Amino acid sequence: MTVGSLLRKILLLELWQGMWVTLKNQFRPHITVEYPRETLEFAPRFRGVPRLRRDPQTGEELCISCLLCEAICPTECISIVAEKKPDGKGKDLVSFTINYERCCFCGLCVDPCPTKPITAIYMSHDYEFAGFDRSAYVAERAELVDGIPVKLYDR
Amino acid sequence: MTDTLIQHLVIPLGQILVVLGVISLVVTYLTLLERKILGFMQLRLAPRRVGPHGILQPIADAVKLLIKEDIIPDKADRMLFTLAPILTIIPAFTALAVIPFSGGGTIDLFGYSIHPWIADVNVGVVFLLAISSLGVYGIMLGGWSSNSKYSMLGALRGAAQMVSYEVPFGFSIIGVMMLSGTASMVGIVEAQREAHVWYFVPQIVGLFLFFVSGVAETNRLPFDLPEAESELVAGFHTEYSGMKFALFFLAEYTSMIIIASIATTLFLGGWMRPFPNVAALGWLNLGLDRISPLLAGVFWFATKTFLVLFLYLWLRGTFPRYRYDQLMRLGWFWMIPLSIANVVATGLAVILAR
Repeated sequence: MTVGSLLRKILLLELWQGMWVTLKNQFRPHITVEYPRETLEFAPRFRGVPRLRRDPQTGEELCISCLLCEAICPTECISIVAEKKPDGKGKDLVSFTINYERCCFCGLCVDPCPTKPITAIYMSHDYEFAGFDRSAYVAERAELVDGIPVKLYDR
Repeated sequence: MTDTLIQHLVIPLGQILVVLGVISLVVTYLTLLERKILGFMQLRLAPRRVGPHGILQPIADAVKLLIKEDIIPDKADRMLFTLAPILTIIPAFTALAVIPFSGGGTIDLFGYSIHPWIADVNVGVVFLLAISSLGVYGIMLGGWSSNSKYSMLGALRGAAQMVSYEVPFGFSIIGVMMLSGTASMVGIVEAQREAHVWYFVPQIVGLFLFFVSGVAETNRLPFDLPEAESELVAGFHTEYSGMKFALFFLAEYTSMIIIASIATTLFLGGWMRPFPNVAALGWLNLGLDRISPLLAGVFWFATKTFLVLFLYLWLRGTFPRYRYDQLMRLGWFWMIPLSIANVVATGLAVILAR
């Protein structure tokens, strides 16, 4: 044993090294996110629940009732009711329902959506939707377009 | 007659009430301090929900513990089960009697001068040793009377550990007593003023031994084997809940404060400011001594005690728990021989310097 290693042992240098690490850590910024008050920024491609949206310019609903999303959905969670327009061209959307209990967040419904310039159905960044009964997970058209009001933690 | 009554009954009772009240408050906030410091060391935020920055968390915890159901297990020995937390808390509180919280004067109230300590016993240090050894009874009785395997194992470990570390704990203090020539806590502080140096300089080994065995005495990490959460659920207080659990908790934290105050008194100069004989450094008192020298004393005593307590929490945030055989080997193979060597070396130095 060399003198150096003996000194290290007697002066408990290794223990002091460990204590130096914890002392330094005290002054580093915390990494806790205080969730209800602050949330993380998501990547743009984050897939939350699917929602409908309006044309950003005109403010009209974009969905043309083509039923492509309903057809491609692997869990059959989308159900659309549409009527032929009286003048014979295109369809009127009567109801558009997504059952979030079944949705698997695959994002397949977004791919075939034909509307321009943006798709009518899209994967939003919403994720806070715990509910007290199953009806909370069936979203109707109005909720899908304008969003379900989220009750924030307030105390 | 009334004069003696007031001198020997009313004033001590008042002092006891003040000390117990303040220490209880400090203990509750020590839990918050511990959680905050551990949180910061782990890059967490620690309690923040109750009051601004969690400042009311200890109060909420205390209320929660008070209104919780007080369960006594069916197979437990009811009397000893109730007695154990009381036997733990009483020695912890009794030890506060001889700790000098400040010095350099008295408070004059209604013609009576009151000292800033409850009692200046001429064998104060020995008294502390005796009282701190009693704490092990509460742990043993609590573990045994619970009639649970975890509690029993925790109590066994606690007893063995406290008995082993009692020896270096006692020996580490002997060095200080030899240097100061007195066993009175106040006398030791005064001797440090006369020696122009605090005893942690000649007794650095003594301070180290004292602190390490003090950590083991109070069952704190890295020596918290009696209540090792990951092995024994909660050790000797597994079966305790409500107020009885709170008493164990209170006793543990009070013992921490006592060990810290003894370290402050014996090794770190007690209530004195750094370099108490250098008048040029009077500004260190921050002008508190102009209001009252007692206030400055309390300030310095509290600061030093807090530093030692921080060391406690710092150790807890840094080191993992010792294995049982490692703990025993450290105690018997290193601490005890080292403490005896320290006593011998200090004795030789005292004789040669005479």
